[in-house]
Amino acid sequence: MSFSGLGYLIKEGFKNVWNNRIMSIASVCVLISCLVLTGSAVLFSMNVSQLVESVGDSNETTVYLDDGLSRIEAVYVGRDIQKLKNIEKAEYYSKDEAIAEYKDMLGEEVFENLKDDNPLPDAYKVSMDDLSKYDKTVEKILKIKGVDSVSNRSDIARRLTEINNLVQTLSFWIVLALGIISLFIISNTIRATMHNRRFEISIMKSVGATNAFVRIPFVVEGMVIGFIASVISTVALIFLYDGIMNIVSNLIPFTAMPIMSVIGYVAVTFIIAGIVIGALSGFISIRKYLKKEGNEILGW
Amino acid sequence: MDKIIEFKNVSKNYDSQTHALNDVSVSIDKGEFAFIVGASGAGKSTFLKLIMHEESPSQGTIIVNGTNVSNLKRRKVPYLRRNMGIVFQDFRLIEKMTVYDNVAFAMRAIGSNPSAVKKRVPYILSLVGLSHKAKSRPSELSGGEQQRVSLARALVNNPAIIIADEPTGNIDPEMSYEIIELLSKINEQGTTILVVTHEHDLVRRFNKRVIEIEKGRVVSDTKQNFSNDTSDINEGSDVINDALKPSIDEVITEIKGQAEEIGLASDKED
Repeated sequence: MSFSGLGYLIKEGFKNVWNNRIMSIASVCVLISCLVLTGSAVLFSMNVSQLVESVGDSNETTVYLDDGLSRIEAVYVGRDIQKLKNIEKAEYYSKDEAIAEYKDMLGEEVFENLKDDNPLPDAYKVSMDDLSKYDKTVEKILKIKGVDSVSNRSDIARRLTEINNLVQTLSFWIVLALGIISLFIISNTIRATMHNRRFEISIMKSVGATNAFVRIPFVVEGMVIGFIASVISTVALIFLYDGIMNIVSNLIPFTAMPIMSVIGYVAVTFIIAGIVIGALSGFISIRKYLKKEGNEILGW
Repeated sequence: MDKIIEFKNVSKNYDSQTHALNDVSVSIDKGEFAFIVGASGAGKSTFLKLIMHEESPSQGTIIVNGTNVSNLKRRKVPYLRRNMGIVFQDFRLIEKMTVYDNVAFAMRAIGSNPSAVKKRVPYILSLVGLSHKAKSRPSELSGGEQQRVSLARALVNNPAIIIADEPTGNIDPEMSYEIIELLSKINEQGTTILVVTHEHDLVRRFNKRVIEIEKGRVVSDTKQNFSNDTSDINEGSDVINDALKPSIDEVITEIKGQAEEIGLASDKED
């Protein structure tokens, strides 16, 4: 097969899109809605993750040590905590530092009655890598000898993580469902082209065109539809995201992730997804015709 | 003489009730011209479908151009079909394409080089006497002209066999004669021709082999002798387009040479 021969079939694929433009526009629109919804779900998830991260950073968990633990024993406890898998860092926070902090916060006079007694325990301020594993990690920390209790100050982070997980799960199913819908709609568009071009297909087969060759224009048609939809989706997502984030940031104090920081990835992902879905649709739709012979192709 | 098509005890059953072909053994030599005749439903179409491998035989062996095609692998089928040019009763021309593009399409479909297409298509159109209609759409042509385009498309890839399925079914008797005459001229250059028809009058006018199929069996296989009535043929010949008639042999010879030159060998694989 010559490259120029291939060029002719690719050109035919582009022509298909134009000749069948009403169905092509319908396919492009469906694919745009799928891609934009998918992109929105992913961007939402990224924003939640960013939020979780910032909340997680400022919301360290405090691990209180048993009363009367010597300094050396406290160091060993710290080492044991550090050894756990999900621990990002564990910083010693002595009861002297704690009371000094409280005095700064609440004023010396509140603590006058205590004189030199310090009822606060020594502690470690612990940050975790993955807050979704918060409970399991706390369980492990509590098993370490010398640990008295663990403060539970990461509720917000945990709630956000839960939301993020939910969004990710939902996104997955939305992407899957919309992907299948896109595949179905584009397949139907290409099937309409195929019906219009059944004479050509039957002639191609009768003169000895290979299946790969018969397939090319239809796969190209799907790819063109996918590409057009992905480019429009990228532009649409930029405007949609900026619009929504402007509204959200006016309602709650929140700095949204700037779309331009990820638009490159979004565009590339959209284009790849669009082209793959399009090509797959073409590939699937023509399969039925390739199995047919002669008059069967024409529906006779 | 080498055989180009050979059926050995071939049967084709579509289901337990429908026996389209029943123990058919027949062979066609390279360069032969044969009519396949028979009533509707006799098994003629099945006979052609088996040659083109649109169907596989239920029993028996089919050899086409030296290849056993009885159980040919699907991916090999396109290469088998490059040995054949098919002419359909209903022409099967693509309306949105010009005459030129309809013929060129058959070359493009198998990945021929554009320069080969540019060189070959005008010659083939001149062979069938339609150079002046190259830019016309099929709907602007008469039935006979449309069938000549269909024939040009079948010829353009330089096949070893031309299979014409009721090529005269949709055209008037004079044009029918012209089409068979054209096929005869092509046959004289060595291309094997199989014509399925139920027009006995037409068959009688040409001194060719006639294979008659009835109820799935070959009931007679004869070389016609009663068509030597030359006045009949001469009368028919007058119908052939004047522009076409004097140059036809020269053009065919040129076409064959050119096909070899641009590498359109009939049994070529890419």
